[in-house]
This record gives sequence, structure tokens and C-alpha cells, in this order.
Amino acid sequence: MVRKIRTVLALAALAFTFGLRPSAHAQDSKAKTLETGTFHGKVHSTSGRATIYQKEDGSLLLRLTNFKTSNGPDVHVILIAVKDADDDANFLKSGVERVELGPLKGNQGDQNYQIPSGTDLSKFQTVSIYCERFNANFGAAPLEKF
Amino acid sequence: MVAHIGSWLLRWKWVIVAFGFLALIGAWWVFRPEKLWINQKVNEPAPFASSTDPQPLYTGRLEGKAHQTSGRATIYKTIDGKQYLRLTDFSTSNGPDVHVLLAQSDDESLKQEIVKGQLDSVELGPLKGNQGDQNYDLPVPVDLQKYNAAVIYCERFHAVFGVAKLEQF
Repeated sequence: MVRKIRTVLALAALAFTFGLRPSAHAQDSKAKTLETGTFHGKVHSTSGRATIYQKEDGSLLLRLTNFKTSNGPDVHVILIAVKDADDDANFLKSGVERVELGPLKGNQGDQNYQIPSGTDLSKFQTVSIYCERFNANFGAAPLEKF
Repeated sequence: MVAHIGSWLLRWKWVIVAFGFLALIGAWWVFRPEKLWINQKVNEPAPFASSTDPQPLYTGRLEGKAHQTSGRATIYKTIDGKQYLRLTDFSTSNGPDVHVLLAQSDDESLKQEIVKGQLDSVELGPLKGNQGDQNYDLPVPVDLQKYNAAVIYCERFHAVFGVAKLEQF
């Protein structure tokens, strides 16, 4: 009886590990590319690509690649409700609607940011690297359908 | 008078120094000037790191020239090293003998609607359809740094239907 239970448990454990593995693999391999655009910025020279992915669970993720900007105080990544932004734009003055994605993780390199669920991408069409302290736009990437 | 100011300064010396020091710290905190020289590098993985799907290398939006053309051109690399151009969201006008080419985005003859003379290009094949998603295999040795534009081109009339400047993905 004990041996039977043991066999069943071992089989269950095997099935569990093998059952989980393919699904975990499928989950991280199925990110859909929704939009992409390249950065422009002269005042604080900014370059690279911004891409929005949709993960399998429906959540949205912004990824910066080949990215480079100048380092600065209190720099954030935001989505703004405009088609494109001037290199010297001040969003406080112009009262542009925005979605905060978090402080910039690094001024160089590939990095990901979660986009809050329910963000309307047809409205927030541009990514901005924005210095909150001086209300200065370091660079902007207008997004287009991938 | 001068002696008076001098003694005043002497009496308040440490207070002035302390305030000056605080002001300096405040200014440093606001401007963080050292960040001009210090870089902060990050390297997070892509959301599909373990994927075996083809990876996009270059991409760009098509812009119409002689005929209205729109959509996206992307060059993918498969896991076994093959490269192909994929048109998505694509629409152009139908025409005779229309081909898909790779050319140099700074080529002068691409700036006109009608190319005079020979266009330096890499042939990818006749256009499969004037609307819809479609793939074109790239010949093995093609320098994508040099041929960095996808062109929809009418061979018969040397007309540039549309051009997409390809930028690193």
C-alpha cells in the first residue's frame, strides 16, 4: 500500500515538472510587438528604440533598446498624449496628459518598464525621457504600429 | 565702520560657513552635476529571451513616392541564420512589373519619383501582392549597413512606389 502511494506520488511529481515546463516556456516566448519608434533629442542627445510589447497575460511592457541619453537628476520615463514632442518641450507648461512608467533605470542600455493596465495606446502615442525636476524633455520617441 | 563689519563677520563666521555649506549641498542635490560624467548602464533581458522565433534586426515605415504606399518593412533573422524581409500592414497601388528591392537610403536617385539610370540595389523578387503581409528571402551575402532601405519599385517605368528607411531594431 505504502509502495503504491509512493509510486503515485513520484508519477505525480514527474507529471507536474514536465507539465509545467512547456507552459512556462510558452509564456515567455509569446510577447507580441505592438508599436515601435526611435528616439530623437538634441538638448540632451538621446537615441535608441522604444518598443511596446504585449505579454501573453495581456499586460503591456515598454522596452528601450540601443538606448542612450545623458544622465540627470530625477529623470523619468513617461507616455504622453501627443503625436510627437519637440526636443525642448516643457509638458508642465503645455499641460500635456501623461502616464508615469517610473524613474529611468539607467541612461544607457536595454531596459523594460511595465505600462499600467488600462493605458490607452491610441491616446498616449509618444514615449518621453523627462527630467521632472527641471521639466525638460531629454528625448521623445513617437510610436508607430509595428 | 569697516571695523564694525569686520567684527560682525568674525562673530557670525561659523554661521555663515554653515549656511554656505548647506546652500552648496542644496545646489548639488538639485543639479547633481557629477551625473554629467557618470553613466548608469543597465542590461535587462527582452520579454521573450528564450524564444526561438525570428528576431527583428531592422525596421522602418514605408513612405509613398510615385504612388501612395504605407506599412512597415522589417528584416528578421531566423534561428538558423536566414534573413528575410517582411511587409506588414502593407498597402500600395497595383502596377506592372513591381518588385521589392533593397537599396541605399542616401541614394540620390531614390529621392526622385522616377529613377534615371541604374539603381544600385539588391533584388528580392516580384511583389507578391499590393496588399497584405508578405515575406521575401534575402540573398545570403547582403550588407544591411549599406542597403538600408526597402523599396517598392516598378521596373517597367523606373518608378519608386515607396521607400522605407530601415533602422536598427
